[in-house]
Amino acid sequence: MLSFIIRRLGIAIPTLLILVIFSFSMMHLAPGGPFTSERPLPPQVLANIEAKYGLDQPVYVQMGNYIWGIVTEFDFGPSFRFKDRTVNDVIAQGFPVTLTYGFWSFVVAVGVGVTLGAAAAIYHNSWLDYLAVGISIGAQVLPNFVMAPILVLTLTLWLGLLPGGGWNGGQWQYLIMPVIALSTSYMASIARITRSSMLEVLNSNFIRTARAKGLSNSRIIIKHALKPTMLPVISYLGPAFVGMVTGSVVIDLYFSTGGIGQMFVNSALSRDYSVMMGITILMGSLVIIFNMIVDILYAWIDPKIRL
Amino acid sequence: MSMVPNTDRIKRMADNLASMEPVKGRSLWQDAMHRFLQNKAAVTSVIVLTLVVLFSLIGPYFAVWTNEEIDWSRIGKAAELGAPSIANGHFFGIDNLGRDLYSRVIQGTQVSLMVGLIGAGIAVIVGTLYGATAGYFGGRVDSVMMRLVDILMSIPYMFVLILLLVVFGRSLQMLFVGIGLISWLDMSRIVRGQTLSIKNKEFVEAAVATGVPSFTIIVRHIVPNLMGVVVVYATLLVPGMIITESFISFLGLGVQEPNTSWGALISEGAGTIAYGTIWQLLVPLFFFVITLFSFFFIGDGLRDALDPKDR
Repeated sequence: MLSFIIRRLGIAIPTLLILVIFSFSMMHLAPGGPFTSERPLPPQVLANIEAKYGLDQPVYVQMGNYIWGIVTEFDFGPSFRFKDRTVNDVIAQGFPVTLTYGFWSFVVAVGVGVTLGAAAAIYHNSWLDYLAVGISIGAQVLPNFVMAPILVLTLTLWLGLLPGGGWNGGQWQYLIMPVIALSTSYMASIARITRSSMLEVLNSNFIRTARAKGLSNSRIIIKHALKPTMLPVISYLGPAFVGMVTGSVVIDLYFSTGGIGQMFVNSALSRDYSVMMGITILMGSLVIIFNMIVDILYAWIDPKIRL
Repeated sequence: MSMVPNTDRIKRMADNLASMEPVKGRSLWQDAMHRFLQNKAAVTSVIVLTLVVLFSLIGPYFAVWTNEEIDWSRIGKAAELGAPSIANGHFFGIDNLGRDLYSRVIQGTQVSLMVGLIGAGIAVIVGTLYGATAGYFGGRVDSVMMRLVDILMSIPYMFVLILLLVVFGRSLQMLFVGIGLISWLDMSRIVRGQTLSIKNKEFVEAAVATGVPSFTIIVRHIVPNLMGVVVVYATLLVPGMIITESFISFLGLGVQEPNTSWGALISEGAGTIAYGTIWQLLVPLFFFVITLFSFFFIGDGLRDALDPKDR
C-alpha cells in the first residue's frame, strides 16, 4: 500500500509542476508587463519597481521564487491590476463561498445519485427504474449553464420561491439553486453508473449464494452488493470533481455568489494574469490532490489495483 | 418398396440446388447497419439532426432580416414588439439589440456544429494515431506516452483553456486550437486499449513477418480494425465539444460579437429572462438540447450496432 502511495505521488508532483510551469510561461508570453500603463513611467522608476518585485531577474529565477513562495508561505504574489491587493486576498475572499456550495453539490450528487441508482437496480424494470433512467438521460443535455437559467426562470420568476442570485453569507435560500444547478448532471451520471454496476453485481454468483443461504434482502445489499457496486462510482468521482470545480465558474457568474469563479472570469476579462494564474494553480492542485485520494481509496477497496 | 431410391425426388432436389442463388454474405458493416436501423431512437435522432443541419444551411434563404441588421422600430421594446411572429419576418423574435433571432440562431448553429465537428475531427486523427502508436509499440514507449496523457488529463483544462484564450486573444481559431489540444486525450486511451488486443492477431503477425514497416502496419492494418470504436466514440465526442464551447461562450470568453454560438445565445437569453423576453432563452436552448440528444442517441445506437456483445 505504501509503495502504491509513493508511486501515486510520483505522478501527482510532476503534474503539479507542469501546471505551474505552463501557467507561468503563458503569463510571460502575454503582451505587456504588470506596470505598463498609458502614461509611461520614467525608466528609473520602472527599473526600481521591477527590482522590488524581482522582475529584473531571469525568468527561471522568477519562476523558482514563485514556486518557493507558494510552497513555503502559500503566497501567490501581488495582483497585476489592483496594486492594493494580493492574489491571496482574492482567494481568501472567494474560496470559502466556492467551497461551501461545492461541498454541498458534491454531497448531493453522490448521495442522491447513489441512492437513486441503487434503488433503480434493486427495483429493476419498475416505475422507479424508468424514472431514474429518464432523469439520467435527460440530465445529459442539461449542463450547469443550462440548468442555472432554467432554475431562475421557474423558481424565481414564475414561482417566486427563491432569490435569483447573491450569497448573503450562505443562507440556505441562496444555496439551493447553485447546488441544484451544479450537481444535477453529475448526480445523473452517478445514478446511471450505480444502476448498471449494481445490476451486474446483483446478477453475480456470490449474490446468488448469499440468497441461497437465506440472507435477508437488505442484508445482501448492504453487506455484499454495495462495496463492489461502488468501485466504478469511485473511479467516476475524479472526473465529477473536475467538472464541478470547472462548473463553479458558471455558478459564480450567473448567480453572482462572489466565489472564486467570478474572480477568475473578472480577472480574465481585465487580463489580471497573476490572479488567473493563482486560481488556476489553486484549482489544479485541488483536483490533482483529490484525484490522488480517489486513486488511493480505490486501491484500498480493490486490492487488485495495487499489483 | 424398391431398392432404387426415388430418383424423381433426387432430381427435383438437384434442380432446386442448381437454380438456387448463391447465399449472399453480409459484411460486418451491413450487419451493423441493419441493427442500427432497428433502433427507433437512433433513427429518429438521425432525422432530427439532418433537419438541424438543413436548417442551418437552407435557413438563411428564408430569412427576412440578416443577422447584423437592427430593427430600429422594435429596438428597446423587445418585450412588447419583439416576440416571434410570421407577420413581421422575425420568426424567432428579436434579441436585446433588435437583431433578428432567426438569423442569429442560424449563425450560432453553424458555429456550434462546426466547433463540434472540428473538435471531434482533431480528436479522431490525433487520438487514433497516438493511441495506436502507444499500444502497438508497447513497453517503455507506451508507458511514457500514456503517462503524459494521464498528466494532461488530471489538469482542469477549462482554466488552462481560458488562460490560453486570454493570452492569445479570444478568437474562433484560438478556440479551435484550445479545444483540439484537449479533445484527443480520451480517444487515445480507448484506442490504445483496443490496439493492445488487436496487435497480437495473426494478420498483424503476418504483416510483421513479411517485413511491413511499423508505421504502415499501424495505418493499414491496425487503424481500419479500430474504426468501430472510433466511430462510436467520435459521435459521443461531438456533443462534448459543443458543450465545452458553449460553456466558454456562456462565460463571454468564447466566440466574440458579431459572431455567435449556442452558448453565447443561451447566455444572452439567460441574462434577459427577467424582462419577459423568454424566447431569447428558449429558442437557442431548444436547438442545443435536441442536437445533443440526437448525438447521444446516435452514439448509443452505433455502440449497440457495432458491438452487440456489449449490450
